[in-house]
Amino acid sequence: MTLRSMAIAAALVAAPLTALAEGGTPVTLKGEMIDTWCYYSGVMGGPDAVVGSAHHTCAMWCSAGGIPVGLLAEDGTVYMVLKIGEDATSNGGDAAFALASHTVTVDGTAYARDGINYLTIAKVTADEGIVNLTHEEYGVVPPFAIPEAGQ
Amino acid sequence: MIRVGLALLALAVPAAAQDFSAGSEAQSWNLYAEAPARFEATVVDPLCMMSGDCPADCGGGARQLALLRTDDSVLVMPLKNNQPLFTGAPNELAPFCGAAVEVDGLMLTDPDLALRNAYQVQKIRRQGDAEWTKANQWTKDWTARNAGADGKGAWYLRDPRIRAAIAANGYLGLGPEADKAVLEDAN
Repeated sequence: MTLRSMAIAAALVAAPLTALAEGGTPVTLKGEMIDTWCYYSGVMGGPDAVVGSAHHTCAMWCSAGGIPVGLLAEDGTVYMVLKIGEDATSNGGDAAFALASHTVTVDGTAYARDGINYLTIAKVTADEGIVNLTHEEYGVVPPFAIPEAGQ
Repeated sequence: MIRVGLALLALAVPAAAQDFSAGSEAQSWNLYAEAPARFEATVVDPLCMMSGDCPADCGGGARQLALLRTDDSVLVMPLKNNQPLFTGAPNELAPFCGAAVEVDGLMLTDPDLALRNAYQVQKIRRQGDAEWTKANQWTKDWTARNAGADGKGAWYLRDPRIRAAIAANGYLGLGPEADKAVLEDAN
């Protein structure tokens, strides 16, 4: 057995156990609840254009459509939100939908696995609403999110 | 022993970046960070894996689901299904909770955004099955749940919850008055 195959075998055994054994890290985070697909894929433009008020309607579409909602923290880290309070409905759930584009402060538990960060939110301790007024620079993203403006 | 394990894990990291494009028939979406990726995996519940909250059926379709890749035990997070309609992947994966599957789609890797192991599922099948299922289930499920949401346009223009939120807070989420200013600028 080569060193590489030994390493892979060790990773196969150790990685799931590590995730479970380590548990998460208690965190308090402030950031914006975002639509992860548009943010990461670039399908609507750069990341600065697909956050805040400019992208609010699209963020609701994506949240309702079951795209993972993320918390974009102040340091730029994105956390995939798996639970908010007692609501584990991360596939289009009401708790996440109601917070689309809002800047919030949360207490919760952060996890990391294979380059992706995950978050369970125990409590939203502050909800500032939509304060990232990106429409002032970008208009509406995508433009057809306001039907009359997109015509 | 722990240090040895960590060292071995560190050596294994390059395997996570290996090429899974062989045999892929994924359609390009012309995304900056995309690469075709076809691989075998087990459909898992990430909330269960992280927190130990583990309903028997992965949450019955209510939760985000992930793909634990067979080759390297990397946890791949699907963000999107195959429909260009603002729709995610959980409805496509939920019927396969706990099952060994093969998927084909696009992997997103973008060092500028510290992104890796995010995925768009285009089609899925149980390992050993001949037939693929296109990952186009979401809108069928929405139509079944929203029989009264009549009107023209795509689901997101007719969805009652979205329409109610826009009626209350506007398209920008800042109130109808803020929308007026944007509309005046556009027209």
